[in-house]
Amino acid sequence: MIQPQTHLNVADNSGARELMCIRIIGASNRRYAHIGDVIVAVIKEAVPNMPLERSEIVRAVIVRTCKELKRDNGMIIRYDDNAAVVIDQEGNPKGTRIFGAIARELRELNFTKIVSLAPEVL
Amino acid sequence: MWSVVRSRTFSSSPATQQKWKLGFSMLSGGGDEGIRAGELLKLEEVETILRDVKADNVKVIPIPKHCDFADFMVVATGRSAWHVRNIAQALIYKVKQKQKGSKRMLLPSVEGQEGGNWIVIDSGKLVIHALDEKVRAYYNLEKLWSTDTSNQDHGLVEGQDLEKAFLKVRPKNNSKKRPSTSA
Repeated sequence: MIQPQTHLNVADNSGARELMCIRIIGASNRRYAHIGDVIVAVIKEAVPNMPLERSEIVRAVIVRTCKELKRDNGMIIRYDDNAAVVIDQEGNPKGTRIFGAIARELRELNFTKIVSLAPEVL
Repeated sequence: MWSVVRSRTFSSSPATQQKWKLGFSMLSGGGDEGIRAGELLKLEEVETILRDVKADNVKVIPIPKHCDFADFMVVATGRSAWHVRNIAQALIYKVKQKQKGSKRMLLPSVEGQEGGNWIVIDSGKLVIHALDEKVRAYYNLEKLWSTDTSNQDHGLVEGQDLEKAFLKVRPKNNSKKRPSTSA
């Protein structure tokens, strides 16, 4: 359940470390975003000497949420943190590697690029 | 053939996939064998197509068993954005040709077709990446997937990056003096 003002960790090596959601893309008056949704976020904390800087506005895909994700077969997936991957307007990830486990749902939502960079798919 | 066998044994959710297969075979009476097995393109076909459209530096990477999202990853380089897009178009055309005449056409999911930097064609057990030369060097997919102990290597690379990342320079210091030239 990501809404504006939610802080998220960054699950890639793009150079950002913490994001804050400022808008959910996809519908005009949507309250919460879940895994696989694109958000507009502002970088709250960044790694020094990297292309991305603090207070820059970027797009990101949510890859992990504390709110549990239910599958049709009864499986429930819940992570310890809220995490996102920084992407550009075309959907290419800014970073070259992705850290931590991500959910299989991202592939069905046409984020195969992110899935193919990830070390583990749940 | 190999991938068909593997897809049967190592499929992630056998129950659901079985159901889906059954449903599909009922819908289209005499479909192709490969398509019924949930496989739109075969590895050999992809290789011939990539040779025909003159894609450079084609690499077939078998994905280790612990990552069961696909069986094989094919990476190909195009010379320009047009070339990359044409590689993708050629593969989609082949899928359409194979299913000509059937009632329902099953197409692979294509990602990034407008850009022409990196196009991914996800046909189930086979994931085909068509990349620009620079993009390929940037993301370096081969290095991530080629070794058998990919996860260990990956961890090492991550560790180095993280060590660098933790060398945090305070913002006010950073503005006063030049950052060290090592980075």
